[in-house]
Amino acid sequence: MTLRVLTVDDSRTILAMLHHTLSNAGFQVLQAEDGKQGLDVLQSQEVDVVITDINMPVMDGIEFIKNVRASGQYQSLPILILTTETSQDKRDQGKAAGGTGWIVKPFDPDKLISVIHRVVH
Amino acid sequence: MSDLDDFKATYFDECSELLSELEEQFAAIEAGERDADRLNAVFRAIHSIKGGAGAFGFSGLVGFAHAYETLLDYVRDGRVELTDDVVTLCIKANDIVADHVSAAKNGEELPAEYGHEEKVRFDVIARGGSGAGSEDDDMNGEIIEEFDIEFTPVRVELKVDEAEESGEDDAFDAPPLEAAPGSWEVRFTPFRQLYARANDPLLLLRELGVLGEMSVRAVMHDVPALGDFEPFGVYCSWEITLSAPDLTDAAIREVFEFVEGDCEITIVPLGATLSRSVAPAGMPAAAAEPGVADLLALTEDEVADVAARPAAAAAPAVEEEPALSFADLADEIKASAPPRPVAPPPAPKPVAPPKPAPSGEGGEDGGNRSVGVQSIRVDLDKVDRVVNMVGELVITQSMLTQQMDETLRARYTELVRGLEVLAQTTRGLQDSVMAIRAQPVKSVFSRMPRLARELATKTGKRIKLETIGENTEIDKTVIEQLSDPLTHMIRNSADHGIETPEKRRAMGKSETGTIRLSAEQAGGNILIVVEDDGAGINRERVLQLARDKGIIAPDITPTDEQIDQLIFAPGFSTADAVSDISGRGVGMDVVLSNIKKIGGSVHVRSWTGKGSRVTLRLPLTLAVLDVMLVKVGDSPYVVPLSSIVETMQCSRANFERVPSGGQVLQVRGEYVQTIDVAQRFELPTQTDPDDRFVVLCETEGSQKVALVVDDIIGQQQVVIKSLEENFERVDGIAGGTILGDGNVALIVDVQGLRATQFHKNAA
Repeated sequence: MTLRVLTVDDSRTILAMLHHTLSNAGFQVLQAEDGKQGLDVLQSQEVDVVITDINMPVMDGIEFIKNVRASGQYQSLPILILTTETSQDKRDQGKAAGGTGWIVKPFDPDKLISVIHRVVH
Repeated sequence: MSDLDDFKATYFDECSELLSELEEQFAAIEAGERDADRLNAVFRAIHSIKGGAGAFGFSGLVGFAHAYETLLDYVRDGRVELTDDVVTLCIKANDIVADHVSAAKNGEELPAEYGHEEKVRFDVIARGGSGAGSEDDDMNGEIIEEFDIEFTPVRVELKVDEAEESGEDDAFDAPPLEAAPGSWEVRFTPFRQLYARANDPLLLLRELGVLGEMSVRAVMHDVPALGDFEPFGVYCSWEITLSAPDLTDAAIREVFEFVEGDCEITIVPLGATLSRSVAPAGMPAAAAEPGVADLLALTEDEVADVAARPAAAAAPAVEEEPALSFADLADEIKASAPPRPVAPPPAPKPVAPPKPAPSGEGGEDGGNRSVGVQSIRVDLDKVDRVVNMVGELVITQSMLTQQMDETLRARYTELVRGLEVLAQTTRGLQDSVMAIRAQPVKSVFSRMPRLARELATKTGKRIKLETIGENTEIDKTVIEQLSDPLTHMIRNSADHGIETPEKRRAMGKSETGTIRLSAEQAGGNILIVVEDDGAGINRERVLQLARDKGIIAPDITPTDEQIDQLIFAPGFSTADAVSDISGRGVGMDVVLSNIKKIGGSVHVRSWTGKGSRVTLRLPLTLAVLDVMLVKVGDSPYVVPLSSIVETMQCSRANFERVPSGGQVLQVRGEYVQTIDVAQRFELPTQTDPDDRFVVLCETEGSQKVALVVDDIIGQQQVVIKSLEENFERVDGIAGGTILGDGNVALIVDVQGLRATQFHKNAA
């Protein structure tokens, strides 16, 4: 079964790169440009894993993750935080909000895929 | 183009948007709007620029953006106060970022020290403004160091000691390492929050299994009696033995990287004592644990669905795994629970017809369909091709319609109906295609506040720039042509219009002059207006200069309005001294020629002592024009419909001769300049003067002009072809077009005709 990955980032460059890497790896890629859009997508689509940026307009990644976890339906949806932050801060915040793991930008394509497989069947 | 080039193109596009966003935000910040939203937006913009730059290895940009971002982060959370000095520094930093971006874009290398000074200042400010010069080197080193950590090829690293990793762990290209014990006992006890964050022990065990020979034993003595059993409780832990040559504990820890803190992990070399003994491989561990029996009894009964609930369940099972000796146990548990109880079963929802994205703009293709995005990016060339094709389609369609004569109409009613539908659809298609190219003028307007700021600094005047109607949409090509004219107009206002604060005070005006930039749609046109509350045009001086430069004949006395219009004459400049800003003699005439090039017109009005207003009237789109087809002599000409007020037969028109030899038309008490187009273009005409027609047009500033033509053929749409590209520029002609019957018709430039007529009369 094709895994469906929702990518949430306000940077088109990052979205495009994620899309490229993920679709080459056989994933189906959904996109959203901020947390709010991400929630909208989750409402209408089944998603197997989410990759989200933290710094975004409208609704940032932390709020987004909290919202996802708050809805009963998605308590067990793996959410990977996309971060350039080396500081432990953002990761901790993301994890506290309910993030499953993280990916450090800029990501290596193989690594990205292996990290996804680490959190999703 | 390679994928990388594609991504780069996307990135640079994005950068230019982010940079203009920055400019916009800082214009507001400078004006005193220092709210959190703006600061966040600024931070995000720099953050995004840095993120992409990291991906492409633009290290100079990354380094600078990182330092800048750190400062912004401090400003954002209030650690650093956003003083005017900081704002000025940020604006400078934006420029440096922009320079880095354009260097990266052009494949150039900026000097290493570029922006160094600002970087140092960022850090000084971030450290509380007390940073001494002596710290510089030290500090700069730190910045670079930080950046190295962040942007060297990524390693998802463990927070444990910088240890060796397994050579077999190819997923995380680990450095080679020295031989290690290779056999480990691992105790893994997940806490509840591990499940709450959607981590899954099964996946972790699987990943461990990849590291080497593994046997797993589920420890289930904590599973309570049925009465105390909580469906979402966490009762299970695992004891694992792992062995592989060179296997290190760091490699094992790395598997648990994401769940650090969400579980208890003990890793000891095999042979050392775990508090609980490890079950031998292959042993059905279930039998050893009384609690498991309870659980199994439970699951066989009524609770199969309990486990299926979407939450962390008591005993996540583990599926087939190489060398997984606890497969027996897994099988037993699997019998009653799905392998991943937490996941909603996929079966009930067989890939349903995709629901439209929230925006309602969902695409229809399957596969890698992207949803949630409300826009797509398309190469402009592709859009242009569509626009051109649609243009041609419009022509073909009108040609078809023209070919239907009365006999054909009567005979083929179905065909006629079909053609009508075609006409409608074509029109709709055309509108839609044009809408694709439309963009808000914001993209140009947003560059202007900065210009105004610079101008104010250079001239020592106080200038406030207001923008109105930024969301008005115009064709992208038109927008691209707007930047230069707007720059000139604003420069002109700042340089010649707005007075010095002293002068303004003396005149009883506020010291700060206002330049208002606005855009609005008016019918088939877009009006862009630049107004200022300055001194207005010095008409005496303009007239004098125009006469001196031979722009108009000395014996002509133009009206005020005509004088104002003279500032657009080529080679005209009123600057007393050629300044750095405007007055290079290529000012307003550039405005006029640029605007004309895109089929627009310019009009200026001025009120002495009160200010002036320049209005640009622009076509909504460049490609297709609604026109009236007329005949002059034997040739077809077209007049843009947007400029026509009314038409009438000459026999009913009220002409009057004027002493200068011209003719005026009296319309409802107003005298209107009349131009005989045939005479103007020196075309022979045999039409009886009474059978000719008057096309009354309105040009800028409600100036009317009456064109006399030989016949009116009808209205239609034409695709504009540039005359300059295909032939050369001709006064009074805005372009050419190909008619439905294949004939070429010239498009009359009403405004130009009127203006040249004026000069002609004047000469």
